[in-house]
Amino acid sequence: MSYANNQIMPSFQRPPSRVAIRRAAGYSDDLAALIQETASELGFHVQGKSVLLKPNFVEPDPRGIVNTNPAVVGAAREAFLRLGARSVVVGEGPGHERDTEGIVETIRLRDHIGKLAGKFVDLNLDDVALTSLRTRASRLKELYFPRTVLGADLVVSMPKLKTHHWVGATLSLKNMFGIVPGSCYGWPKNALHWAGISQSVLDINSTVRPDFAIVDGIVGMEGNGPIQGTAKFCGALVMGDDPVAVDATCVRIMGLAPERIDYLAKAGSVLGHVSERQVLQAGEPIGSVRTSFEVLPQFDRLKVA
Amino acid sequence: MLESLAVEAGSSESLLAAEVKGLCRQFLLRTQNDDGGWPYLPALQSAVEPTSWALIALTNHPDTFEAAHRGLAALGAAQLPDGSWPPRPGHRLGCWATALASLAIFLQEGDCEPVRKGLSWLCDSWPAEGGAWWRVRNWLRPTAKVTRQDSSLRGWSWTPGAASWVEPTAYCLLLLNMVPSNLHPAGAARRRRLGEAMLYDRMCPGGGWNSGNPQVYGVAGERRVGPTAWALLALKEYAARTENQRSLDWLEEIYAKISGPASLALANICLEAYGRPQPEFEARLGPLYAANGLLQNVPAAALSLIALTPHDQPSTFHSPRRSSA
Repeated sequence: MSYANNQIMPSFQRPPSRVAIRRAAGYSDDLAALIQETASELGFHVQGKSVLLKPNFVEPDPRGIVNTNPAVVGAAREAFLRLGARSVVVGEGPGHERDTEGIVETIRLRDHIGKLAGKFVDLNLDDVALTSLRTRASRLKELYFPRTVLGADLVVSMPKLKTHHWVGATLSLKNMFGIVPGSCYGWPKNALHWAGISQSVLDINSTVRPDFAIVDGIVGMEGNGPIQGTAKFCGALVMGDDPVAVDATCVRIMGLAPERIDYLAKAGSVLGHVSERQVLQAGEPIGSVRTSFEVLPQFDRLKVA
Repeated sequence: MLESLAVEAGSSESLLAAEVKGLCRQFLLRTQNDDGGWPYLPALQSAVEPTSWALIALTNHPDTFEAAHRGLAALGAAQLPDGSWPPRPGHRLGCWATALASLAIFLQEGDCEPVRKGLSWLCDSWPAEGGAWWRVRNWLRPTAKVTRQDSSLRGWSWTPGAASWVEPTAYCLLLLNMVPSNLHPAGAARRRRLGEAMLYDRMCPGGGWNSGNPQVYGVAGERRVGPTAWALLALKEYAARTENQRSLDWLEEIYAKISGPASLALANICLEAYGRPQPEFEARLGPLYAANGLLQNVPAAALSLIALTPHDQPSTFHSPRRSSA
């Protein structure tokens, strides 16, 4: 179980992580095959397991650049079922839009996973359990988490490659804000902001660390992300079983320095590897897909010279 | 399973509004838990918000007396000693759901101790932002000026220790508007003035609301249906104000693009309350309902039922404001 098996371990004790970068020209590519092949290559075993896919569904988005593309979500579901997963459920708790059905209908999730009944869980409304946080980066100490998340054998974080106007970039770690139930904390989950976004990211991921991450970097968002930025084609899916290493790799792809992003730097000490030396790259090299993302002026310091 | 709205609805491309109304009503009656409360989704734990919405939606419906009686008892049992309601029975801290629980009880029972205690808690609960020290500290922070808002205008937060947001403020104002002013606790008038001013302050440029960030880094926030409808309902006394009219115009504009049945129902409740009923509402709700059966969402079913029975409603959203008992 993702929650039960998760243990805090200093990153220097962790073996090097493997991250795969796969080229994808568009959402009509055979993404299921790409994900299936990569998960197998990286040794991500789903046979007989219950898998929770946690995409980043934020709000109805006519431009199609805010949310994880549903084609990637559908492909991941298909790939894990082919690999023998017992069940694959999509779960999300949007941060400031209460009408989750409105979001998943706008993006036509049904077209990619079929009828939603039994396959999609609104994590904002699920039953919850009070859970002690495994780190104390923030003052939160404990949070309610959805039982669907706590009970999943494997949690897969599936963010979109985006800049973020408060923390620089939002990827698989920040995406886990979406497991915090709005029914307990509101829309937005403002208690997390008051406890410190970076600190809360660390505390949430130390408690429910994703077992795998798949970043939708086919079309990302630059500038005033995570909602009002502009589309940026990058043409890649980034995957791995160390969410910190995956995020650090994504940030490098964006032309930014992961060590300068506060929550990533913190996560690099206990949750996974930020250092490039500790990340074994599979698939494409970073340089071949590097795409400089524009950031707001206050984040110019994140740019790699 | 029989109580699944999705199973019932999924077999049809479309449903008539009357069918949706019947399905929602039956769904609410079937999903009531043994403890008298309602869950967000069938067979889950009872929670205060869905219990409140189910009670509000079933008010004045025939043959619902027993369900309402049990629901009221469940809400009463969930109230904390300080007068607030937590999100779910057994949780330790009161929250935004206090306004909805108080409203549901008031509509069923009128003036009573639980409502008075709930109101007192709400009027004593201040959001974390906006105090003098907070303003000084915020003024000094480099990120303080990225949002455009007057933080001295304090509404209500979702949870204690957090900032004011549009929806919890609107819920509280709806309650204060509904309960006669002679039953209000001390300080309620000031809280209401501040809350109303806060809502207008947080309106997006051009009308409409999002959760509470009208402008960040100089860019206008994206307007959303839910917060816009709730804010307009809470500010209905000022229907003639330009801000209200602009926001209604936007809601009417966006109406055709609404893809979630709960948002559609809420938008319709709001537009109906302002005398701008949408003739295509019933025709649109059926297909949206049929798509996913509301994802079996109890508050969505309750809002749909309210929207489909505007004239059966106990003036929840239509009452003349600030009447005395």
